[in-house]
Parts: sequence; structure tokens; C-alpha cells
Amino acid sequence: MLGNQQVLQQLNRVLTHKLTAINQYFLHARMYQNWGLQALNDRIYKASIHEMKYADDIIERILLLEGLPNLQELGKLLIGEAPAEMLALDAKLQRSDIDAIREAMAICEEQQDYVSRDMLNHILDGQEEHVDWLDTQLDLIEQMGVETYLQSKL
Amino acid sequence: MYVCLCKGVSDHTIRQAVDDGLSSMRELRQQYGVASQCGCCKQCAKEVLADALQQKQRRFAQESLIDTDVCYA
Repeated sequence: MLGNQQVLQQLNRVLTHKLTAINQYFLHARMYQNWGLQALNDRIYKASIHEMKYADDIIERILLLEGLPNLQELGKLLIGEAPAEMLALDAKLQRSDIDAIREAMAICEEQQDYVSRDMLNHILDGQEEHVDWLDTQLDLIEQMGVETYLQSKL
Repeated sequence: MYVCLCKGVSDHTIRQAVDDGLSSMRELRQQYGVASQCGCCKQCAKEVLADALQQKQRRFAQESLIDTDVCYA
């Protein structure tokens, strides 16, 4: 089924965001593991796998619309040097992803591609949940101090 | 954070280098290899460099202001 060019362009744009997020979360997760912060590793590793599943959904959708998914392009990875900074950078990336998804959804709606919009809606749901978790962690760090917070993530 | 992942250069490294006298992207590339491999970090490196230079300048102005005050007093 031939898809709308604008929609395909937007789907590819969101795909780039997802591919970037997969790598950023994966590296952060393994950095946490390397430092012995197993609880953070588990959570962020799962986030990376979720991003991979979202990327898969988008790739399948682009192929169905007879477009070519661009797996070559990758955005700038925001890699931190300390746990608190890494969580803040993940939140920053996640927010820019959410903005991109919202813009893509608006264009899907405009071009009457409701199935793509619903798929993006499902992704957006997951993203909002993750950004909320990240915000909670940053609040906790502010309230209890980073040392105490990290003690609960061993 | 890491500005250039290819060469492992962090924003702290860049700020330290600016304090030690570095002032351009060209020097940053020559001395640390920033933006010499994939080029993804070019924009980010430019922003960090500009910010570091501005901060250095502000600090410099502040320090000389303090001196002037002392002179007048």
C-alpha cells in the first residue's frame, strides 16, 4: 500500500530518534552495571529494549507503506559521566522524542493516516511513562541527595 | 557529559582546555580530535566552546573589577 510522502518522512524522523535512544539507553545501562548499580541497569536496559520494539514497529509500518526505513542516520548521543547527569540527559532525550512524535502524529492526522497515528500514540504512551519515571528519579535525587539515592539502586 | 563520543572528550575537558588558553574549534580538533571522526558532535562542541569562552571572559571581567575596587579604596 503506497503511503503519503509526508507521513513516511515523519515516520523516518521518529525512527532516527528511536535508534538514537536505543544506543543511549544501552550504553547508560551498561555503565550503571559497570558501577554496580544493578537496579538502574535493569530499568534502563529494559527501556532500551522497549525503544528497539518501537523502532521495529516503525520499520514495519514504513515498509508496509512502501517507503525505505533509514537505519543509517543516528542523532547525537547524550552520554553522561555520572548517574545523576545520565538520568537528566535521558530525560532531555526523551522530551525531544516526545516532541517529534507529537509533530508526526499531527501530520498523520492531517493526511488521514490513522493507523500510523495510532501506532505513534501507543509509542507516545510508553515514552510519557518513561519520562515520568525519569522525573521521579531526578526529584528523589534532589530530595534525598545523590549518595542516598544511589544506595537504593545497588 | 561526553561531547565527542568518538574521542571520549567531555565538556569538562573542553572547559579546562579553554581555561588553559584554547579558543577555537580548529584547536579543539587538532589537540583533542573533537569532530574529526563522525562529526555528530560539531554543533554541541561549538555551543560548549562558546559557553566556556563566555564564562571565562565574564570571570576575567569580574576579577579585574575587584582589583579596580581595591585600587579605589
